[in-house]
This record gives sequence, C-alpha cells and structure tokens, in this order.
Amino acid sequence: MPELSYREAVRDALSRAMREDDDVFIMGEDIAEMGGSMGVTHGMLAEFGPERVRNSPISEMAIVGAGIGAAMQGMRPVVEIMYEDFLTLACEQLVNQAAKHRYMSGGQLKVPLTVRTQGGAGWSPGAQHAQQLEAWFVHIPGLKVVFASTPSDVRGLLWSAIYDDNPVVFFEHRTLYGLKESVPDELEPIPLGLARVHREGSDVTVVATGRLVHESVSAAEMAESDGISVEVLDPRTLQPLDEDTIVKSVKKTNRCVVAHEAVTRMGFGAEIAAIVQHQAFDWLDAPVERVGARFTPLAFAPVMEQFVVPHADDVLQAIKRTVGKA
Amino acid sequence: MATELTLPRLGQGMESGTIVRWLKQEGDSVEKGEALYELDTEKVTQEVEADASGVVLRILAGEGEEVDVGKPVAVIGEEGEQVEEAEDAPKAEADERAPEPKQEAAREEQREPEPEPPAERVEPQEPAASDGRVKASPLARRIARERGIDIAQLRGTGPEGRIVAEDVERAAATPAAPPSAPAEVERVELTKIRRTIARRLTDAWTIPVFQLNVSADTTRVGELVRKHREANEDVRLTVTDVLTKVCAQALMCHRTVNAQYTDDAILRFPTANVGIAVATTSGLIVPVIRSAERLTLSQIATARADVVERARGGKLRQEDLEGGTFTISNLGMPQYGIEQFVAVLNPPQAAILAVGATEERVVPRDGELEILPMVTLTATFDHRAVDGADGAEFLAMVKAFVEEPGLAL
Repeated sequence: MPELSYREAVRDALSRAMREDDDVFIMGEDIAEMGGSMGVTHGMLAEFGPERVRNSPISEMAIVGAGIGAAMQGMRPVVEIMYEDFLTLACEQLVNQAAKHRYMSGGQLKVPLTVRTQGGAGWSPGAQHAQQLEAWFVHIPGLKVVFASTPSDVRGLLWSAIYDDNPVVFFEHRTLYGLKESVPDELEPIPLGLARVHREGSDVTVVATGRLVHESVSAAEMAESDGISVEVLDPRTLQPLDEDTIVKSVKKTNRCVVAHEAVTRMGFGAEIAAIVQHQAFDWLDAPVERVGARFTPLAFAPVMEQFVVPHADDVLQAIKRTVGKA
Repeated sequence: MATELTLPRLGQGMESGTIVRWLKQEGDSVEKGEALYELDTEKVTQEVEADASGVVLRILAGEGEEVDVGKPVAVIGEEGEQVEEAEDAPKAEADERAPEPKQEAAREEQREPEPEPPAERVEPQEPAASDGRVKASPLARRIARERGIDIAQLRGTGPEGRIVAEDVERAAATPAAPPSAPAEVERVELTKIRRTIARRLTDAWTIPVFQLNVSADTTRVGELVRKHREANEDVRLTVTDVLTKVCAQALMCHRTVNAQYTDDAILRFPTANVGIAVATTSGLIVPVIRSAERLTLSQIATARADVVERARGGKLRQEDLEGGTFTISNLGMPQYGIEQFVAVLNPPQAAILAVGATEERVVPRDGELEILPMVTLTATFDHRAVDGADGAEFLAMVKAFVEEPGLAL
C-alpha cells in the first residue's frame, strides 16, 4: 500500500477522476503553473493541460458561478477557493444559486459541483485566513458538506463528492496537508453520510471534526492512562450527518463531547449536542460538553493563536468533566 | 439597638434585586415577618418580610433602585433611636452606579468552567436535593425509574452534587440496611388457613406423583385475549381464563385425569370444576370455577374475577372452595415472570397444572428460526389414578388447544 500525504491524496482523487472522466475539470486561483497556494494541484497542468486545469481571475463569485454553469451543462467541475474565509465572497452563488437550482427547477437541473477549500489555524495566518466556517454551510438545505481528516478519508470522500449530483462544499484542513497514511492502491469511494469510528471506547464519545479528530485521539490516549475509555468518532460528512452512529455510540457510553476547531458558539457541535440530547436523553449521564475556539477573531501572535483554538488538552478536560473527574 | 436589614438572597443565582415599592415608610412600626417591601428579581416579584420588629428608622434604598444581595436596605430600631450617618453611604453609591459592563465577548466562551474543589466532588456536602429539586442525570433518572429506586434519597457524586448513573447503581447494589441490633426471632402464630395448607400439602407429599411438561405457542391465545377485550370492555379476559376453558375441555376428553383416587375406587367426574390458585395475604387459596366446560369465556372471566376478588377480600364461602376436580396455578404473570415450576398436587384431585410466563423464545420451525411467544406448562399427576400415557395425552391436548383455542370449541 502506498503512503500518501493528505495533500497527495486530494491530488490523487482529482487526477484519477480526470483520467477516467473528461467531464471532470478543475478551476481556481493559481492552481495551474503554481500548483495552488497549498500545492495540492502541483503537476496537474502538465498532465491535463490548460483546458482542464484552469487558472481563474481573483473573483470567488466568478469561480463558483462558472462552476455552477458548467455543472448545470453536464460537467463535473471541481473549483478551488484558496481560503475558506473567501467563501464569504461566493456565498450568493453557493447559497442562493448552487443550493437552489435543483429544487427550483423541479429536478430538471442538477448542480454536480464540488467546491474545494481549506482553512485552519496553527501557523499564524491571522484572523482572515484560518477560520472554520463549515457551520455556515451545513445550515443551507441543498448543499452537502464534507470535512475530511485523514488522507484515506479525503481521497475517498472527494471522489464521492465529485460524483454526487448535488453541490458539495469540501473542507480541507491546512495543517493536515502533510499528514501521511498508507492507502490502498485502489481508490475506494467513501459514501457521503457515513461516520468513521477512529477509536472504540466505553465511557465517553468524542465527536470530532478536522484537526480535532487527531487532537481527540491524543486526548483519548491520555484519558486511557486515567482509566477513562474514550470512543472517537469523525462524522466526516457534516451534511448529510450520520446521526445513527453518533446516537448509538452515546447510548453505549452515556457521555458525549463534541470537538471542532471552529468557534464553539452556534457551531456545528451545538447541532450534535441537540441531536444527542434529543435522541439519547435517557442515556445521558452528564451534560454534553463542547470544545471549540473561543469567541474571538483569531489572533495572529502564535501564543495567542494557541490560546484561542482548542487542543488535545482541552478535549481531555472536557472528557474528564463528563465523567466527573475534572 | 438598631438592626440593619440587608437584601436577602431569595434564590439560587440571585445577585441583586430592584425595590419595587416600600410597604412601610420611615416612622412606621413593623413586626418581624410582616411584608416590608416588594422586590423584583430576575425571576419574580415578591414581598420581602422584615426580619426584625420595631420602627422603620431609615429606608436606605429607594423605589426603583437595584440593590446587591447583602447590601443594607433599611434600618429598624426603637422609636427615636439615632441612626449613624455612615449607614446612608450605600444609597448614594447605589444611585450613581452604572450598570456593569458585560464581560468581553472573548471571555464568554470559557472552555474551562470553574472547577469545583475535588474534595466536594468525591463527598458532596450538600444533598442533591438541597433546593427542593433533585439534580440527577437523565440516565440516572431512567435507571432509578426502572429499578424502583427513590432518587430523592440518593446522594450525588457527580459535578455539583448531581446524581449520576453510578450513584443509582451503587444504591441498587446495596442491600437494605440490616437491623441495628440482632433481631428477635419473629413468632407468627399459625392461622387456620395456614394449618390447612400445611396439612393438605403434607398429605399431597405422600402421594406418588409424576410430572410432564410441554411448551406451547401462545400467539393465538394472545390474539384471542386482545380481541375479546376489545369486544367486551366490561369483561377483562385473562390467559388464565382461556387456560381454564381449554383445560376443562381437555378434561372432558380425558376423564381419567378429571378423577380422584380413593381406597377402593377411582372416581371419574362428569364435569370439570377447575380450581384457580390465588395468592392472598393470608395464604394460598383455591376457589373453584364450576363446570367450566359449559361456560363461555366471558362467563369464566366473570366468575373468576368474582372469586378472586372475594378471595383477596377474605369473603369466600365454603362452597366456593369445594368440589374442585383439577387446579391451575399460574405464576407466569409479569410481576412474577416465573419461567416454569412444579406445582404440588391439590388432594384429592388427581392433577394440577403449573403455568409459567409467556416469553419470547427462538423456536426452530421448518428449518428456520422463529421468535414466538411461548409458555411452559407443567402438569403434576397422582400416579395412583393417572398413568403416564393418559397424562401425556391430556397435556398434548391442552397444548393443541392453547396453540389453537378454536379446537376447544
């Protein structure tokens, strides 16, 4: 089994889809000669040529809008928004156009568009280049939302996103691009809407996304030495959400922590907490704990940035609160 | 000596309150316990009573003024008593106080709520119900509900004294406290009914008996009971009633079982008088449903309800207990849930049927596994009157009737 980095896994999924299928093409700022600002599309121009690896003007609205048009005409475009912070500039296209056409046309139109983007703190990008805005888009009916945390997941999920007939906002995490994992030669598509259990446990369920999946696994290992058995789940697809796996796990462990790098308040974790309290109310032995960033624009200074976003120790403390050992 | 009255804390989390209206003015006399002013807190507006008697010497907080808990609001003392000026200070201060600025947004999202001192977690000093509300997790409440534990009696070891599942499980595992001093041997005088039970069961023990058991699918009985109840709301048919009917029918087909052994003859009875074993507070008693083979299910249910009620009320007549030719003892009700058991013969009758709980079991059928409601029936026979094959035929028929009650018609 080859070992791929998260970055290479994204490239692998894109390249395989483009080799197999002429309808798939990529478009975005500086993705051609430069290979993208994160190096994800490095080398793809040479293989696929400028028709299918298209540099775009610096206009997120135009990028997504062109993607929607191409998708409605039968292509399967994958457009890149350099930083997810810039999704705000494409919101009209995403929220009011991409998400709505299939419904408003009574199914006559489809928008099989994938919008790849990345974000995340940990390298001092400041307040405008590292936000985690997935909660904005899970709130929009008509959009699917993916947030992959490992190389094998990102490869299998991106494939499924490209071949989904609905618009998918596909979040990658900046600090995971270098993460390596052995993946099978064959690309195995991962269905959207299926959570992954990273670690089984019996005392607390941690539902984590993105970078916090890895922080949560570390926290679980630390908790283990205190005799606390922690189950770590990554929903992977935030919309549609694998509620069954989450609820089943909480019914087993009776306690739940949700963890993401996005701001806690009004975050994705709030929805998980609501689902858990509603569907597993009589199984809960402690309030659902939430771990996320503090409610503040992300600080630039590294020490302050570290203070704002959550880490394994924050997850560990939340785990301990649920079992009354904090 | 003047007494300074301070703003009391009227509820958990109350930090301050606003004086709505003074019910007494300076110079008025007031009794301890009498309403002194109306206070508006975040939750309610309520009257606050004076906690001293005397004359209101000074009012320190005006109407509409917000006062922190513990701050003085009035001074009560004897008429003409002088009040030191210093006590006036809080009023001026309070008047000028601006509303406190909200905490900075960044601080609102504290990821570490103030932890309690660990010692308090392990052995909370406050019972979980200190404010009248029991603080317990949903899981703890569910377990308590399922096991019949009074959650208000428990002490919580969770955060803030919350009762968690572990506390309930510990309580469930702890046996009832033994009496503090070694108890005296309790002497219960034998009642007449207890003497009779003892004598008859001892007699029964001298009889050579054998037992047979079968399991039967009760799907049809369950349907029958349900439909009968739907159709006859005033008659509450039970499984025991159906068993009474099918046993009576089977007894009529197998008269060797509807029998009695005597020293010189075996008596076979022309009708099935079925006794129903009833547990009462004074002991086991077996009222009889007469000629059950001739009764409809509704008639059996009505007769059974009547005798069972009178048995529990101690109002049975002698004739209710006489003439039985067969007995049914059912311990399969949900409150017992006994799977199967062997009943002791009820002499001079030649047979008794012990009925276990109807429970779902996996049953192989035609090479497939099916989940069916099943009951195990155990019959005890007086071997002097009944041979094994006769007993087996009878019980096989009971099983067939249970599985298809229509066959008993």
